Amino acid sequence: MSIRSLRRLGALGLAGALLAATAACGGSSGGDDGTVELRFSWWGNNDRAAATQKVIDAFQKQNPGIKVTGSFADFNAYFDRLATEVASGDAPDVITLGGAYPREYGDRGALLDLATVKDVLKTDKIDKAALGNGNFGDTQYGVPSGVNAIGVVVDPVVFEKAGVELPDDETWTWDDFKRIAKEIAAKSPKGTFGLADPTKTDMLDIFSRQRGEALYTADGKVGISEQTLIDWWNMTLELRDSGATPSASQTAELITQPAPEQSLIGRGLAGMQFDWSNQIGALRKASGHPLRLMRVPGETGAKQPGSWLQASQLYTINAKTEHPKEAAKFVDFLVNSPEAGKIILTDRGIPSNSDVRTAIEPGLDEDQKVQVDYISGLTPKAGPPLVIGPTGSTDTPHILDRVNAEVLFNRLKPADAAKEFISQVTAAIQQ
Amino acid sequence: MSDRVGAPPPSPPAEGATAVAPPPDEPPAPPRTRHRRAASGALRQDRAGYLFLAPWFAGMALFTIGPILASLYLSFTEYSLVKPPEWLGLDNYRRMLEDPRLAKSLLVTVQYVFVSVPVQLGLALALALLLNRGVRGLSFYRSVYYLPSLLAGSVSIAILWRQIFGSDGLVNQVLALFGVEGVSWVAHPDFALGTLIVLNAWTFGAPMVIFLAGLRQIPVSYYEAAEVDGASTVRKFFHITLPLLTPIIFFNLVLQMIGAFQSFTQAFVVSGGQGGPADSTLLYTLYLYQRGFGSFDMGYASAMAWTLLVIIAALTGLNFLLAKRWVFYSG
Repeated sequence: MSIRSLRRLGALGLAGALLAATAACGGSSGGDDGTVELRFSWWGNNDRAAATQKVIDAFQKQNPGIKVTGSFADFNAYFDRLATEVASGDAPDVITLGGAYPREYGDRGALLDLATVKDVLKTDKIDKAALGNGNFGDTQYGVPSGVNAIGVVVDPVVFEKAGVELPDDETWTWDDFKRIAKEIAAKSPKGTFGLADPTKTDMLDIFSRQRGEALYTADGKVGISEQTLIDWWNMTLELRDSGATPSASQTAELITQPAPEQSLIGRGLAGMQFDWSNQIGALRKASGHPLRLMRVPGETGAKQPGSWLQASQLYTINAKTEHPKEAAKFVDFLVNSPEAGKIILTDRGIPSNSDVRTAIEPGLDEDQKVQVDYISGLTPKAGPPLVIGPTGSTDTPHILDRVNAEVLFNRLKPADAAKEFISQVTAAIQQ
Repeated sequence: MSDRVGAPPPSPPAEGATAVAPPPDEPPAPPRTRHRRAASGALRQDRAGYLFLAPWFAGMALFTIGPILASLYLSFTEYSLVKPPEWLGLDNYRRMLEDPRLAKSLLVTVQYVFVSVPVQLGLALALALLLNRGVRGLSFYRSVYYLPSLLAGSVSIAILWRQIFGSDGLVNQVLALFGVEGVSWVAHPDFALGTLIVLNAWTFGAPMVIFLAGLRQIPVSYYEAAEVDGASTVRKFFHITLPLLTPIIFFNLVLQMIGAFQSFTQAFVVSGGQGGPADSTLLYTLYLYQRGFGSFDMGYASAMAWTLLVIIAALTGLNFLLAKRWVFYSG
């Protein structure tokens, strides 16, 4: 009797568990009326979210059977959340990724091989170089939203107030750059700087490529030399000591707030900032100043140009999506439809589909023209495509932040920091 | 008549009699049926109880015991979240021994626990003593001081903390009035952990309420007797209050230490999820989270979780051993 009742109890528990499990699975599969529900995630600020919602509305109007729900977060929080969602098997159907993340997730089997949906998602009009940024080990995991490049965002208002002349970005060297940064800080009111501390992995890429190296080698190892890192940190320490960049603790604080509105240049408190070209609109809006984009220093006279053109973001599809066809259809709309292009404009980079690029040009405002002009001017002068980091390299920015903090707080000498950085990155990409 | 006499007895009663008559080898039936009825009644009651328990039990099994056991298994595997786990044996635990960031996170956590818990308990006891002196509007003050305990675990308070201790924050604005130029306290490796310790100490409300209850338990007659003997306030505190309060202090100490070892939210929000600057706020749980969800190293993170469990269990055991030396149970 008691065993039987226990068994019955067990069955009850099992039933409860099954009920809970089915309830948990019920989320994304779609409505009773046959509509397909898709989830789409991206990073960015509220303006980008508003524009994206318009694109979603336009897509839904064309495809009444598909309902798209968007979700977004700022860059740092986005990848934390995505990791938990992927881990719990609850990742969105269409996922925005960038840099080394498509490889990170693709190698781990989380992304759909886009060759399986090539009938729906066309890539023949997409810029080949940018498309290559979504191709890892001969598998196409992502389609680029647009093309992007690093530049120096310059605030002419801060320059003018300080009485400093704008540089000639065809010829300027890193020495010119240091001198200008110091001058701005010296001649501006307290609290205004030449720039925020520029140490980022993208900058190490530029700096090392100008010397014929790169952050990573093509076979997936660390490519930057200790000497390059030492020279970089000697430069940033000189900038910090002269007051051209903020104090170590202020820099540490700025790292935790990546939004354009919270950056120094976004608050009108810096003359320059290294950033991606598609950020110019958001930065201009934040500062209210007519910010300009210039080429990075040291390009002339370098072994090879350090800058490169890169897919700014990549749309990928969850390997476990229940609706690969519909997801592909949505990505196709995002990258290939002039209608979507006219809403997104240059916010996710200069559209990599040439037809879309032509279609949006007449409707561009001043902010976006700056970006298009910069990319057009840079295209013939850019260096070779970037070697994107191997699996595990998405940890590199965090490693750099930590080592850089040790340097800025005078706890590590540049030489030791260079060794430390290389050994930690090597360990991260070997795991 | 003879007819009736010679006739066999009417069958129904006879049948009835044999049916009712107990077999010689069986014990009397009535007690057994009564027992059975009682048992099935109890069972029915039990069943109702189990039925009501079932949702909790299902939840417990599904969301607590299941994941706990799964994490034990995962701690012996390499698990990147997306691919199925691969058996590694003790490799994760071996790697932990050589991980400098793990050592750093343990150091940070130990500093955090061993500074913030005594400060917090000291504050709680001090406030409880004050409030126990028959303050008017006691329940109001009790609520006011308890409030931080309810709020401080939240993200919003951690964000507020960043504002207060940031470079343009309230603290520096006050310092500026005195001509002192402050740094960004949350973003300086020498001070960032300190701001978290202050934040944790600020949540003294819960232990304070428990102390208050403990103080009420101490018989007034002890104090009266001491007063008759001319004992000073300080003497009364050290010779009556403190000894009689040791069980409560012990209880709070164990609870707060376990809680402090598991702190996560504040460090996560204040450092932007990185435990920075220069790993100065890298609490153990934060590093665990980074390994699990940042580096996709869930096997290692699981091994860390089990190690933390062992550490907390060992320290709690040590607490109980040491308690024999200083905790005084009057009852």
